[in-house]
Amino acid sequence: MSLAPAIRMRTPRVKISFQGACVSLLIALLVFAALFGPMLAPEAIYRSDILSSLQPPSAAHWLGTDDQGRDVLWRVIVGTRTTLLSAIAIVTAYSLIGVAVATIAASGPRWLDEALMRVTDVGLSLPSMIVALGFAAALGPSLQSAIIAQSITGWPITARILRNVMHQTMEAPFVAGAHVIGVSRWRLMTRHVLPNSLDVLIVKWTSDIGGTVLILSSLSFIGVGAQPPSTEWGAMIAGARGYVSTAWWTVLAPGIALAITSVAFGLLGDMIQAWRDPSLRESR
Amino acid sequence: MMMQPNPAGRPAPVPGEAPLLSVDNLCVSIRVDDRSVNIVDGVSFSIRRGERVALVGESGSGKSVTARALMRLERRMKATGSIVCDGRDILKLSDGEMRRVRGGTIGMVFQDPMSFLDPLRTIGDQIAETLRIRGVSRRDAERKALHILDELKVERAAERLTAYPHEFSGGMRQRVVLAMALIGDPRLLIADEPTTALDVRVQDQVLALLDEISRSRGLSVLFITHDLGIVAGFADRVMVMYAGSVVEDGDVYSTFAAPRHPYTRGLLDAVPRIDRDSDRLASIRGTPPHVFARPQGCPFHPRCDRAFERCVIERPVLRELGGMRVACHRPEPEAAR
Repeated sequence: MSLAPAIRMRTPRVKISFQGACVSLLIALLVFAALFGPMLAPEAIYRSDILSSLQPPSAAHWLGTDDQGRDVLWRVIVGTRTTLLSAIAIVTAYSLIGVAVATIAASGPRWLDEALMRVTDVGLSLPSMIVALGFAAALGPSLQSAIIAQSITGWPITARILRNVMHQTMEAPFVAGAHVIGVSRWRLMTRHVLPNSLDVLIVKWTSDIGGTVLILSSLSFIGVGAQPPSTEWGAMIAGARGYVSTAWWTVLAPGIALAITSVAFGLLGDMIQAWRDPSLRESR
Repeated sequence: MMMQPNPAGRPAPVPGEAPLLSVDNLCVSIRVDDRSVNIVDGVSFSIRRGERVALVGESGSGKSVTARALMRLERRMKATGSIVCDGRDILKLSDGEMRRVRGGTIGMVFQDPMSFLDPLRTIGDQIAETLRIRGVSRRDAERKALHILDELKVERAAERLTAYPHEFSGGMRQRVVLAMALIGDPRLLIADEPTTALDVRVQDQVLALLDEISRSRGLSVLFITHDLGIVAGFADRVMVMYAGSVVEDGDVYSTFAAPRHPYTRGLLDAVPRIDRDSDRLASIRGTPPHVFARPQGCPFHPRCDRAFERCVIERPVLRELGGMRVACHRPEPEAAR
């Protein structure tokens, strides 16, 4: 062995790119706003002040005021918490359901796999937005209903993707390697196959937050989710939609916040994917 | 070391001792369009304790499938016959019992050590897993893992335990895979072309290790390879497979000195040698038959120089012939060279 130089494979360095820096900054801002926004916001944004309603952007109100005379920028900032927390709760909840379904499908007998995947197919064939809308409406219009509705309707894509990736991972030689030392099928699935399949899910979890924020806001906009005067962004847009031609900022500000959030989480997903693969990580 | 047949130095057969492994009329079949095709077609052999047997043959001869059948790894195939290992019929075990055999009674290593390790778990974790799933405590399992890496001459083993597979070279990974297979203290090690993916120098190191360890542990080894040089240097006995059956089985020395089956002779002649003057490389004419189109009679007859009518009609069975087993109607004369 002394003659054998341990040739270490050159691993690509994960560099902090410009895009990475921008995304990190945006995510940091969003998280900061969600954590501290409600604490820092002036009391005035919760009261109406009709005299100063629908003011265009100015030094005092950077993004103008809404029909009740409340500062739009502050309301958007305060709304970050509602929106992000709800989206994270939703995506986490349905990802867990998806993981459970996929793991059971992949490790169980063939008939169980078939049965679960047919249920998943049914879930996939229904437009999730409409189903969530139905559920939320049935539960009574509120933010909680929208969250529950999305949590129980969002899992099929995750389950399907993860189950397929797990099947792919099962073909990997290291699974055979674990198999020949006597690892049981369940342990094989949960300890070897699942962790090696989660990349796709971590990425999906992150980028789904963006999409979920949009659907959540859409539900609120339609009226089955958060209700005005909630600072939830969809509800804000819903409340302001009558003024879109006269006071564009009232609609545009929460709209831009939505766009930034979904793009930022989508890009964060990509970054996590690059980071999680240990062979892409710089070896210590 | 490579081409010198090495008959001495291993335990002599004890008369009356039951073999560690005895395989009787093993058939492995796969269903294709409502038809069942035998990939392995009636293979019988046995391996004594401490014996090293090389299984050679071309790709598609069924040697890997045979080896995998011993571990019941082919879920899509059906195996019949009997495989008795350490007194128990592998084919009759429940799934739970079979799990204990894998990594317990029988260890297995594969061709490509690069991909046989879980990329997300540390080396130590993976070596210890064989014991962890058998209820050994984490501390004991890790101590044993360290011990076995030392035995496999891995330098700075303690540090290596916390490393990930991608930080290892090919030879080191093969050692880790070996450690995973050996830590459960198996009686039989199945090595499916374990050195094929390695370069020659690392190959030699791994073989030397395997030699040392199997000797000190009295481990039986079934070595699958198509490298006849490795067979000569490492094995006590060689079995040659062709088209799903064993065509010749004998001790390495006699078989290499005077092969009785024309196919074995062809394989040996195809090994390039510098001590012989020849302009061109000898080869066996034709190609091995496809699994789905194996010829009637002797499967080798279309490629055989010695074939006659009987070979076309009647399939030869493996029979005793001067201390070896040969499946041929017209074997090579005893002193072919």
